Amino acid sequence: MRDAGALDPATLDADVIVVGAGPAGSCAAIVLARAGKRVVLIERGPFPGSKNMYGGVVYPRILDQLIPNWWLEAPVQRWVTRRSTMIMTDDKALTVDFRCEAWGKPPHNGATAFRPDFDAWLADKAVVAGARLICSTTVTGLLHNEAGAVSGVTTDRPDGDLTAAVVIACDGVNSFLAKQEGLYGEFDAANYTLGVKETLALPKETIDERFGVRGTDGVDIEIVGCTGGVNGGGFIYTNLDTIAVGLVLKLPKLAAQKQRPEELIATMKRHPAIAPLVEGAELKEYSAHLIPEAGISMLPTLSGNGMLLAGDAAALCLAAGIWLEGVNFAMASGMYAGEAVVEALRAQDVTVSGLAGYQRRLEATFVLKDHRKLKRAPELVLSDRVQHLYPEFVTSVAERMFRVDNPAPKPGVRRIIAQERKRVGIRRRDLAADGVAGLRSFG
Amino acid sequence: MIAVCLKWVDRRPDPARAIVVAEPDERFAGVSAADQAALEWALRQRDRVGGEVVALTVGPSAAEAILRDASAAGADRAIRIDLAFGAPSRTVATALAGVVGEASTIWCGDYSFDRGTGSVPAFLAHDLGVAQALGLVAVEFTDAGIVALRRLDGGRRERLSITRPAVLSVEGSTALLRRASLRNLLASPIIERVGAGGGHADALHPVEARPYRPRPRVLPAPAGATALDRVRSLTAAGSATAAHGETVTLEPAAAADRILAALVEWGYIP
Amino acid sequence: MGREVWPDIAFQDRIDSATFRVHHQAHIVVDSAICGDCSTRECIVACPANLFVPTSDGGILFNYEQCFECGTCYMVCNREGAISWDYPEGGFGVVYKRT
Repeated sequence: MRDAGALDPATLDADVIVVGAGPAGSCAAIVLARAGKRVVLIERGPFPGSKNMYGGVVYPRILDQLIPNWWLEAPVQRWVTRRSTMIMTDDKALTVDFRCEAWGKPPHNGATAFRPDFDAWLADKAVVAGARLICSTTVTGLLHNEAGAVSGVTTDRPDGDLTAAVVIACDGVNSFLAKQEGLYGEFDAANYTLGVKETLALPKETIDERFGVRGTDGVDIEIVGCTGGVNGGGFIYTNLDTIAVGLVLKLPKLAAQKQRPEELIATMKRHPAIAPLVEGAELKEYSAHLIPEAGISMLPTLSGNGMLLAGDAAALCLAAGIWLEGVNFAMASGMYAGEAVVEALRAQDVTVSGLAGYQRRLEATFVLKDHRKLKRAPELVLSDRVQHLYPEFVTSVAERMFRVDNPAPKPGVRRIIAQERKRVGIRRRDLAADGVAGLRSFG
Repeated sequence: MIAVCLKWVDRRPDPARAIVVAEPDERFAGVSAADQAALEWALRQRDRVGGEVVALTVGPSAAEAILRDASAAGADRAIRIDLAFGAPSRTVATALAGVVGEASTIWCGDYSFDRGTGSVPAFLAHDLGVAQALGLVAVEFTDAGIVALRRLDGGRRERLSITRPAVLSVEGSTALLRRASLRNLLASPIIERVGAGGGHADALHPVEARPYRPRPRVLPAPAGATALDRVRSLTAAGSATAAHGETVTLEPAAAADRILAALVEWGYIP
Repeated sequence: MGREVWPDIAFQDRIDSATFRVHHQAHIVVDSAICGDCSTRECIVACPANLFVPTSDGGILFNYEQCFECGTCYMVCNREGAISWDYPEGGFGVVYKRT
């Protein structure tokens, strides 16, 4: 299906239309604009980032390839130098706490940032590179040529059709474009989680004191067992003079449990391990967003004739317990999409086979390698045992290990584990199976 | 020439902030609904009688964003008068007057988001020596000119017939700005830039900037010898009107009839 | 969880902390003919903006003005076509500032 006419630049409004100026779209636009392509980047919000929220940490290492020394100019809140994983039950909490001073210095590791700042900054890089950014414009559908290939977009503006050789859909988790094009298989709400978050103001000194950090060093805490009967997880992280407290909740469970998201946040905030951290903080902004959380099993077809998917639209979001990443996958997939389109335009072939460089790049890098390696992780992390039984098991083992029960002598650790496993009701077989699954994923 | 004056302001003003503020964050800046309505009326007037619509703003270079939007919506020319953000109304009006002298009609929003007072249109009309029709709640084009309804105190309205050059300021509810086409948005409009010139730059000196606090409304003291009497006279508590009351159990339809009957009986409805 | 659950922030204050540029046309439409006899009513529980309210006659009253545009409602809804959900017109809807 090679249609030379469709690729004649003179008849097209642009070489490439990128839908959505989030991290994926902006990185795609940067690559394309720098390669001299005519790029129109269309954003439905009044500015890039205005519709975006996330669970807190961006890992911009991938930007090394696009913006050298990005850490000198990226609008970040704090550099994460302390990462904790907390396992909690109603009245107990066990925390694994890691600190790395090096992460506070260039070239850094992860950072907390406000998405309306970060995304706007990244989109501006695309504009500087020569991309045309059009905001306040919602893309409503796709145009097709006689051969059935995608040839442009329709928007909600008068005279709003725009033609291009390739459309890169970075239109987020709801990606109506991917669905319209039939790139998603059967829809299943169980593949999605709802993220809700409070941005809470506290004086910087108070945050430094409560979280044990200084200057622009920050903390990210991931929590299991804080979501009531709903499968999911929680997080707390520090911005400069605000902290963010939020939950990630599996959709079908949330609906079935009859507990509202803000009630679950309120409950977590009253937990004895959390309350002292958030006490007296003033709500600055409440936000909510969906997350495509099922990993590789839910990935759509990533390309069509004249079209690629990247970022959340491609469900490229890694939610695997100890690793919770999305912005980096979005930036990388956008970048690789841009590179693949440059290649395809050079070869005058924007069919699926002409765009195959995209899939090849994703397979060769962390984007799909991580997803394949961690293919079982999302299911494991959100499983009922990990969510509801293991926190009770682990914290009560710790409680009995650390409890001094004189005059009774100290019991052996092995005995405690065996007793608590039985008490909580975990079958040895399941524990072993989950252990193997965990090792296979994370090991 | 039909002129429309647009003010570039923060679209989400923080009431706790001072009146005189730093430049708005470009991401949250734009024009008020009233200014959008003014632009729409200017475009409608052009569509009806012809001529060209000139969109103007007074502000720093970042304010050109609203001129690009105005051009995309259909303005024929766009002019930015270069002046720092937060200049006093007097200065802004004088700067505008230097550019819009030829205009037959000058449209403005009645007041901006950032606690504006709506004084620029009045100053502008004064400087130009033309008529003013401010705080319009309805506008209609007729063969004779423009017929407008103006808001007066106490819920009253004044109908004005505008047949000669005038400054008109409209409320945001009067019109919804048309949506700019994608083609127009993609075009790069030419924005003319002019200096502010002299004038009344020293007319006002902000002495102190404090957060906005609405002024209290002064009411006459209530009559009554004791505090209780005065409260009663203010609230009408305990007077005959409060004595109505009856508890009945009825089907909804019957209850509605009963309520209506009672209201007639008590003189609330004829 | 065992603890008593009460909201620590009034819901209206929670919603008012975010900014919404409200368009005059609703981007959410609920077809009560389809959802009228729904007993599970996932949308009422799951919508983080609490936009869906049950009415005494068994219907659903919906708002669209203070919508986070997350998509939870149509994803949890188990009635095909009951909730039509689209993005609001470009430039309108939620505008995040620090999240």
